[in-house]
Amino acid sequence: MSELRVRAGGLYTTVQDTGRFGHYHMGMPPSGAMDTYSAVVANMLVGNPDGAGVLEGTYIGPTLEFTDDRVVAVTGADVPVTLNDEPVEPWTAIRVRSGDVLGFAMIRAGCRAYVAVSGGIDVPVYLGSRSTYTLTGIGGHEGRKLADDESLPLGAADGPGPGGAAVPEDLRPDLTGTAQLRTVVGLCSYRLTEGGLASFLGTDWKVTKDADRVGYRLRGGTLDFTEREQPFGAGSDPANVVDLGYPIGSIQVPGGDEPIVLLNDAVTGGGYATIGTVISVDRDRIAQTKTGDAVRFDSVDLDTALAARRDRRERIERVRSRIAR
Amino acid sequence: MTTEKIQLPPARYEYGGDEFVFVELDQAMSLEANFAGMAVTNALRQEVIDGVVDICPSNASYMVQIDPDRLDPRELVEELRRLESTVGTLPDDYVLKTRVVDVPVLFNDPWTHETLMRFRDRHQDPDATDLEYAARINGFDSVQGVVDAMTSAPWIVTMLGFVPGLPFCYQLVPRQRQIQVPKYVRPRTDTPERTFGFGGAFAVVYPVRGAGGYQMFGMAPAPVFDLSQSLPDFADDICFPKANDVLRYRAIDMAEFEATRSEVEKGTFRYRIREVEFEPATLLADPDAVNRELLEVLYR
Amino acid sequence: MTTIKAQMPGVFYRRPAPEKPVYVDDGESISEGQTIALIEVMKTFNEVKADASGTVAEFLVEDGDEVDVGQDIVRLGET
Repeated sequence: MSELRVRAGGLYTTVQDTGRFGHYHMGMPPSGAMDTYSAVVANMLVGNPDGAGVLEGTYIGPTLEFTDDRVVAVTGADVPVTLNDEPVEPWTAIRVRSGDVLGFAMIRAGCRAYVAVSGGIDVPVYLGSRSTYTLTGIGGHEGRKLADDESLPLGAADGPGPGGAAVPEDLRPDLTGTAQLRTVVGLCSYRLTEGGLASFLGTDWKVTKDADRVGYRLRGGTLDFTEREQPFGAGSDPANVVDLGYPIGSIQVPGGDEPIVLLNDAVTGGGYATIGTVISVDRDRIAQTKTGDAVRFDSVDLDTALAARRDRRERIERVRSRIAR
Repeated sequence: MTTEKIQLPPARYEYGGDEFVFVELDQAMSLEANFAGMAVTNALRQEVIDGVVDICPSNASYMVQIDPDRLDPRELVEELRRLESTVGTLPDDYVLKTRVVDVPVLFNDPWTHETLMRFRDRHQDPDATDLEYAARINGFDSVQGVVDAMTSAPWIVTMLGFVPGLPFCYQLVPRQRQIQVPKYVRPRTDTPERTFGFGGAFAVVYPVRGAGGYQMFGMAPAPVFDLSQSLPDFADDICFPKANDVLRYRAIDMAEFEATRSEVEKGTFRYRIREVEFEPATLLADPDAVNRELLEVLYR
Repeated sequence: MTTIKAQMPGVFYRRPAPEKPVYVDDGESISEGQTIALIEVMKTFNEVKADASGTVAEFLVEDGDEVDVGQDIVRLGET
């Protein structure tokens, strides 16, 4: 069986695909690649199905050694990539041979790099997905992040592929500047005062060190809750509600000063008031913000959210047709 | 005894971005709100609509996860409104088919005691244990009083979540007999696996070790989550509890705790489970009578 | 001038624990691969290892400061 050698695991590298669905009702989040667009495009470049297993590296990428002829592509964060210590292009299909070593330098922008290898990272499928959910240690490679000096199984590739296909610049995400996160305000936003909501939308929030696959904690402003007699069963804090389900992308503000945006490994429910939800497409963008970066929330309606989703699908199809040529 | 019927406000429909629809049945917790959610989510599940990814009942609300490429969230809301108006309140003759389960708990156990002592600085009452505090603020003379109240009537699983397999349980008694406690002032960074916890009006069993904000009252010897699926009750699912399960928390002593632990470790433990059916309307009208029947079925 | 840069963003610490002494002091010589600090991010404390040998001329970041990727944290003098 063919394998990929992990010489160095990097800071926090996991196997992900497009996610594990249908288990939210029992408390299990979907996991999956945080930046869906980059993961799907990486697979496309190497000739894999969109949902094949890829590696998601965070801040410090892994060092990987190939043991046979493959095609590899790196997408996502803006980070210098090397093959045998020579620079190679990201967003491009690269042919590799046994003994070749793929490495990463320091990231310039963004947070998460995706590595797709032709044939896919072929870890066992658990509940319909190869995605890693580290909190309970399921899926991916032994339910955990990669360690140094180990191996991952690769699937069979339909021939090594030509290599050379590249994603045009205009179809690569722009990761510079303040991340604008389009947000459908609602859920329990009635808990905020008018001024609280204005402050939420008017603040440049900064990503704190507590920003991982479960959620991003932000800082930079204070939000006021309306006074009320707490309803039965909710608990005494003004930010408390009767425990309810949290959508992926939903924003809660425990304590009123540090909003948390829940992401792919979200806790699925709890007792804090949610005040809105980042639209699915812009989860790709927050996934590429790093500790210290600035984000803003822009209030949009459902039509805008659905249109953004259609746009992303069209962009993916444009990449597909450009690569096929 | 009879109780005053709680009238629910009109349901509130909200879009959780493009992939979720969130429906709040009431801001306050009540069995009526939970049963209304049960009625709609059960009906929705039977319709098997393309594009519905997951149906997540919760305490006094519910959530539906959708694939907006296949189903427009607005169409789903229209259907949910229709269901609300047709099945939105359980009819009086509605029969809930579920299971009633015996869940042993060692109250005042040494492990959660050790943990809670480490986090006294995050608690409302640093000089008392969590159970002593709960007894006092709920008007009981002793810890035994609050334990008796929690173990005398069964509970219904009104929501699963936070982490996989964590059951939120609401006791099948009228609101004025519900026990209520606040969460810790600041959440703990540690909670032992299988801790019997309590927050708001909800009892939980923590599936795995980790952070937590609920008061800690005791420990269950049997798991609610088994990743290895080695116990027979986990053959089909890594999580044991299901929404609508009726759980009876039963106080046990250290000898039974240790005996049950050894059964779990040998892989032979099985929960005591009985199939049961009851009418939620009858339960609301006369909880004590229905609870007596439920326990009789469980221990028959 | 040789500097050691942060490889990840987060909160910078010069000690392994609050009550412990600093990993290295100004003026001490360090060798490549040696742990000189911690950066806390994503709920983990990650060791910062020197990527060059030399003498610590000065730390450019205070204990407990936030650092960004690529930020200079130590200036090295002559070995």
